[in-house]
Amino acid sequence: MFYKLTPTTGQPLYLQLMQQVRHAAETGALRDGDQLPGIRTLAEELVVSPNTVAKAYCELEHEGLLELRQGLGAFVCVKRRTRSLENDVNLARRRIRDLIEQLREDGLLDAEIRRAFEAELLYAAEAVRKR
Amino acid sequence: MLWYRFWLETRARFLTSLATVTIFCGVFVYHAEGLLRPQWKSGFNRLLFINQQFLVIMWILACVLLGMGGIVREKAVGTSSLTLSLPVRRATVLGVRVGVGLAEAIVLGVVPWLTVFVISAWAGMPISITQVGSYIVLLTGGGLVYFAMAVLVSSLVVGEYTAPAVAFGVVLLSVLVFDNWIPRFNAWRLVTGDFSIDRKTFLLGKHLPWPGILASLAVAALMVLASMLVVERREF
Amino acid sequence: MTNEAVILTQGLTKSYGNREAVRALNLSVGRNRITAFLGRNGAGKSTTIKVLLGMVRATAGGGTVLGKQITDKKANLDTRRRVAYVAEDKPLYGYMTVEQTISFARSFYSDWRTNVERQLLRDYELPTRQKIKQLSKGMRTKLALLLAFARRPELLILDEPSDGLDPVGIENLLQTLVAQSADGVTVFFSSHQIAEVERVADHVCILEKGGLVVDAPLDELRQSYRRIDLVFPFPAPEREFRISGVERIRTSGHQMSVLASRNAEALVERAHRLNAVSVEVAPVGLREIFLETVKEN
Repeated sequence: MFYKLTPTTGQPLYLQLMQQVRHAAETGALRDGDQLPGIRTLAEELVVSPNTVAKAYCELEHEGLLELRQGLGAFVCVKRRTRSLENDVNLARRRIRDLIEQLREDGLLDAEIRRAFEAELLYAAEAVRKR
Repeated sequence: MLWYRFWLETRARFLTSLATVTIFCGVFVYHAEGLLRPQWKSGFNRLLFINQQFLVIMWILACVLLGMGGIVREKAVGTSSLTLSLPVRRATVLGVRVGVGLAEAIVLGVVPWLTVFVISAWAGMPISITQVGSYIVLLTGGGLVYFAMAVLVSSLVVGEYTAPAVAFGVVLLSVLVFDNWIPRFNAWRLVTGDFSIDRKTFLLGKHLPWPGILASLAVAALMVLASMLVVERREF
Repeated sequence: MTNEAVILTQGLTKSYGNREAVRALNLSVGRNRITAFLGRNGAGKSTTIKVLLGMVRATAGGGTVLGKQITDKKANLDTRRRVAYVAEDKPLYGYMTVEQTISFARSFYSDWRTNVERQLLRDYELPTRQKIKQLSKGMRTKLALLLAFARRPELLILDEPSDGLDPVGIENLLQTLVAQSADGVTVFFSSHQIAEVERVADHVCILEKGGLVVDAPLDELRQSYRRIDLVFPFPAPEREFRISGVERIRTSGHQMSVLASRNAEALVERAHRLNAVSVEVAPVGLREIFLETVKEN
C-alpha cells in the first residue's frame, strides 16, 4: 500500500491517513486480515510523527476497521458494512462526477468548483446543526 | 576524556614551546661551554645561572600561552555551548585544564634542565644533579604563580587575542611593581634564583627558599580557586 | 501519549541590559511528542533553550526540565546527562578530528549506542580522519547531529538542526527525528524550515519578541485556521466580522479576506446572511499562520 499525506491541506494528517486506509479497504486494495506496517515503519516511511500514525490506527480500531494485536501489529478487518459502503461511495462519486460536469458546462473553472465545494462542506455542517 | 581534549587543544603550543626552550638551553650551554672552557669552574656555574634567567623568560611566556583557553575563550571562538552542554561541572572543566597545563609547565621546566645536565656530562663538565634539581624546583615551584595568573586572566577577559595580551601585561606589570616597591616579594627573582644564588661560586644554596616557594604556590592555588568561582558564576 | 510536561516554564524572563530576550514565557512541552519551536531570528528561541539547560541564568521566573528545577546546579548536571542538545552554531572543537570528536563525546554518556554511531557515520559519509576545522558547514552539522542521535536521551533539544543541510540531508534528519520519537524520545526543535515542521511536528510553539504567540497541536491549527475570501454587492462590511477568532481582516472595496484561527463556520454563516456574492474557504498552511502571527506583533 502507498499512502500520501499532504501537510498543507487543512486536514489533520491522521485523518488523511485514516481516510486512505478506509478507502483502500473499500476499494479492496486492503483485504480482511491484511497486516498494516508498524507504527514506527510507517512513520519513518511517511516522515510524519509516530503519534500521527498511532492516532490514526487507534481511531480506525474504534471504527472497527483495524484490529491492533499487542506486539503483532495492525490487521484489517473488513465487515459486511464496509462492503456495502463500497457501493455507496461508488454511487456518490458518479453523482459528483455528473455535477462537476454540469458545473463545467455552466462555465465554472475547476478551482472555483473546488473552493465552492469546500465552502459548502463547511457551511453545510454548520447549517445542519442550526436547523 | 577532558584531559585528552585539553591535551589536543594545547599540544601544538606545548610542543613548540618545549622544542624552543630545550633547543635554546642546549645550544646556549653547549656553545658557551666551549668559550668558557679555561676558567670553567665558577664561570660555568655562572653560565647555568644565566641560562636560568633566559629560561625563566621563555618558560613564563610559554606558561601564559598554556594558561590561555577555557570556557571564556571558547565563548569568543564559539564552542562554549558544546563544553557547557556536557554533563560536567564548569569547575571540573577548569580543573582538568589547569591539571593538563600544570603537567605541561612542569615538563617545560624539567626537560630543558635535564638536557643541559646530559649535554654538560657528555661534554665532560658534569654538573651536580642537586643544582639541576634546585633550578627546576625554583622554576616550577616559584613560577607556577604566573601560570595561575594567566588562568585567572583567561577566566575574566573575553577575546581570543585580548586575553593573552592582558595576561602578558599583567605579568610584566607585576614584575615591575614588585621590583620597584617590594622587591623581597618579587616572584620573578625567586624563580630566577636571585634570592638563593651564591654570588661568588654561582651555586644555588643548599637551603632553598621554601617559605617563598610555598607562599608562591599558595597564591597560585588561590588564583585557580578564584578562577573556578568566576567561571561557575559567569554567564555564557 | 501522556500529557506530562518534560519542559515547563513559568514567567521565564531573561534580559540583557534593557533588552528582554525572553519575556514571561510559559512554555510546556509534552512527553513523547515532537514539538517545533518557531520564531524569527532574535525572537528568543536560542536564549530560551540556553536558560533551560542552565547555560544562562534566568532574570525572573523559573521552570523545570525533566522534573528538575533549572536553577538547581546539581540537578542541572543530571539534566544534561539525560538531555541531548545540538546548539545553534553546531559547536565542535576545530583541532579535533571527526574520530576524536566522537570518542570524546562518547566518553561522557552512558546512553551511547555504538551501533547507531557506526550506522550514522556511514549514512552521513563523514571523513573520520579529517580535522573539524576543514569540514564544510553541512558536514559539521551532520557530525553535531550524530553526537546527539547516537545517544538515547529522554529529551532531544535541537536548535536549527537543518542548518547547512541539503534536501537529502534534511530528509534524513527528519527520518531520524521520527525514529527517535518512535523510540520514546521527546523531541523539541527550533527551525526555520516550516515545510519540514509541518510534516513531523505534533505540536507547534511560535515565539515572537520573547513570548509565545501560538502554542497548539498542529492538527488543531490545521483544522481551525481558515482563510475566508468574500465578495459583497456593496462595500465590505468589515465591522460585522470583528468577532473572536478573527486574526486579521483585509478589505479592498467590495472584497474582504478574513483570517480566522477558529469560528470559521460562524463567519461563513454570517457572510451568507449578509448576502455575500462569493464565499470561498481555504485551509491555511503553517507558513501563512507563522507569517501572519509574527507580522501582527
